[in-house]
Amino acid sequence: MAKTVLVIDDDRDIREVAKTSLELVGGFGVIVAESGLRGVALAQRAKPDAIILDLMMPDFDGQQTLAHLKQVSETAHIPVIMLTAKVQASKLELVGKGAAGVLVKPFDPMQLPTQVCEILGWSAADGKDIGHSGSAKK
Amino acid sequence: MLMGGRIRLWIIAASVVGLAALAAVSWLSYRNTRELIAANQRLAQAHKLIEDLTALHLLLDDAESSCRGYALSGKDEYLKPYDAALVQVDIATQVLRHDVAHDTNRSLQFQQLEPTIQARLEVLKELVKARRNGGFEAAVRVVQSNRGKILADEIRQRISTMQVEERNDLLDLERESRERARTTILAVGLTCVLGVSLLLAASIVIYRLNRRSEKDHVALQNAERIQRTILNSAAYSMLSTNTEGVIQTVNAAAEKWLGYTGAELAGSNVTIVHDAQELQSRGDQLTRAMGMPISGDSQALVTKARYGVADEFECTYVRKDGTRFPVLLAVTALRSGANDLSGYLMIAADLSERQAIRKMKDEFVSIVSHELRTPLTSIKGALGLLAGGVTGVLPPKAAEMANIAQGNVERLSRLVNDILDLQRIESGRITMDKRPCNIADLVQESAEAVHLVAEAEGLTILTSCREACVEADRERMVQAFVNLLGNAIKFSPRGGRIEFAAERTSGGVLFRVKDEGRGIPREKLETIFERFVQVDASDAREKGGTGLGLAICRTIVEQHGGRVWAESELGRGSTFYVQLPVAQSNSMATSGIA
Repeated sequence: MAKTVLVIDDDRDIREVAKTSLELVGGFGVIVAESGLRGVALAQRAKPDAIILDLMMPDFDGQQTLAHLKQVSETAHIPVIMLTAKVQASKLELVGKGAAGVLVKPFDPMQLPTQVCEILGWSAADGKDIGHSGSAKK
Repeated sequence: MLMGGRIRLWIIAASVVGLAALAAVSWLSYRNTRELIAANQRLAQAHKLIEDLTALHLLLDDAESSCRGYALSGKDEYLKPYDAALVQVDIATQVLRHDVAHDTNRSLQFQQLEPTIQARLEVLKELVKARRNGGFEAAVRVVQSNRGKILADEIRQRISTMQVEERNDLLDLERESRERARTTILAVGLTCVLGVSLLLAASIVIYRLNRRSEKDHVALQNAERIQRTILNSAAYSMLSTNTEGVIQTVNAAAEKWLGYTGAELAGSNVTIVHDAQELQSRGDQLTRAMGMPISGDSQALVTKARYGVADEFECTYVRKDGTRFPVLLAVTALRSGANDLSGYLMIAADLSERQAIRKMKDEFVSIVSHELRTPLTSIKGALGLLAGGVTGVLPPKAAEMANIAQGNVERLSRLVNDILDLQRIESGRITMDKRPCNIADLVQESAEAVHLVAEAEGLTILTSCREACVEADRERMVQAFVNLLGNAIKFSPRGGRIEFAAERTSGGVLFRVKDEGRGIPREKLETIFERFVQVDASDAREKGGTGLGLAICRTIVEQHGGRVWAESELGRGSTFYVQLPVAQSNSMATSGIA
């Protein structure tokens, strides 16, 4: 059973590219949310295996979302990878707040699944269902 | 100073000479005047003596005439003048005795004259007696005895002698008096000339001194006015204090910025315009840093300057209404000519605008960072998926177009990254996390970061380094070396060799990246480290560079207290050097990466 990854990003195109990359290149099941609040709600409901969370979002930004995810018992255990466009976003700072790792934009879609696996310590077999979409796009 | 001393010396000398001359002339005049007074008295006495002698002579003549008249007529009324003359001769004799008392010679002459006068009077008395008792013939006999004539001649002779001598004395006295009067007039004249000369000289000196003083005063006033204008037109707040931190002077900017008048600030301690908590914090910080107790008052502001350390720091100024604004404060110790501490000068630049600009820049960077990179992420991702065949196999021409687009997105992405990197490093927003780094590790890590690209170009990177340590931000220094190596890779001919070496030198640790490329013209060796400067304008397109790699490299190296430069020979390659301060050194290690 392929692992499910929740992608939370306010940019529709990035959500689509990440989803395509993770689904078609990595073989993961992907669900997406366009805001932090919706992402939290979806995470509680769908309980994904990992979350890729954009740092800069309007209203409820990545850091607030991360804090919220880590406070709620249903989602506290889910590893969160921060996605940031900031060159110097402090990895240590984000990791200290509970992030499993940091991915920097612009990412290489062909390398994204590999990078996710490296950060989370997953094997390539964790995303083997290539061609099968498990999206729960809202 | 020297001129003033010389003038004072001249004034003192002239005064001494003038006073001495005046004293001498005064003494001379006094003496002459006294002698003139004495001479006048003597002259008066001489005149009186001559007149009294003449009067005595006339009295005697009157007495003789009277007696002879009586002798001829026998009438008693002829004797009246004789009787009167007898009384007057006695008085005249007493007066003359007094007249000659001051003169020994005259006194002696008069003593000789007196018996003759008495003898003459006795002869006259005898004549009168003879006429009265013996009649005319008896009187004739007395007259014919000739004694009266002899005595009268002797008296005339003696009186004449005395008068002549007295007149001669009179002439001598008059001559002496004239001489003394002339000397006095001359002395007084000279004194007047000298006095006038001294007055004139003093006036000239005083005039010149006044003029100079006036000129100096005007120059000083002008200088003060210029200084005051400069101070008041400066876009900096300037406060000067005494050694205790009490404000002495205030410029216009300080008054305007702080909302106080100069009069309100003067006399107040400078802490009035500072944040008390901030001062306490700085005092504590300095106490720890300097190992001596420094109170959280004005001492926290001036202690470093007092010890001759250039002190410039950011702090907060508090306005009269309690509002605050950030300043960059430079404190300088004011010292007198003898190098004694006399106070402090505190020059503050308002950082409000600078901070607002910094904030705007940060916001801009953030916006660029997010707004530019977000679409780039989408484009790069979408193109990557297309070119990678994830969405299906593309026709050859479409695949070629997708590859072109992907390559340029990569280039655009690098450009955005480099611009943001450079801006953030230069602005100091990225602080260098300096730790001791083994230079062998830096060389190895940098070479490994580019070895795949080098391999693709058929290039060999040869590394060699001695064991040594530098204080460096590892990630940033690797970024700098990767830029240099990336540059060498771009411009090296296929199959070429790149040397990357590091060694300890007297000036620190020297890193060297040597390629066998086309070389750099001499005139470009400096400018290539500037932004968007490349050896050839077409390089950006052909080699895919952003023109920022070397600028970033130089900024990183300079933030480590080092320097970077290039040497090159056209057609024979280039060598880039990076020199960093050394932390420690060890033995040699050599390795090679293909």
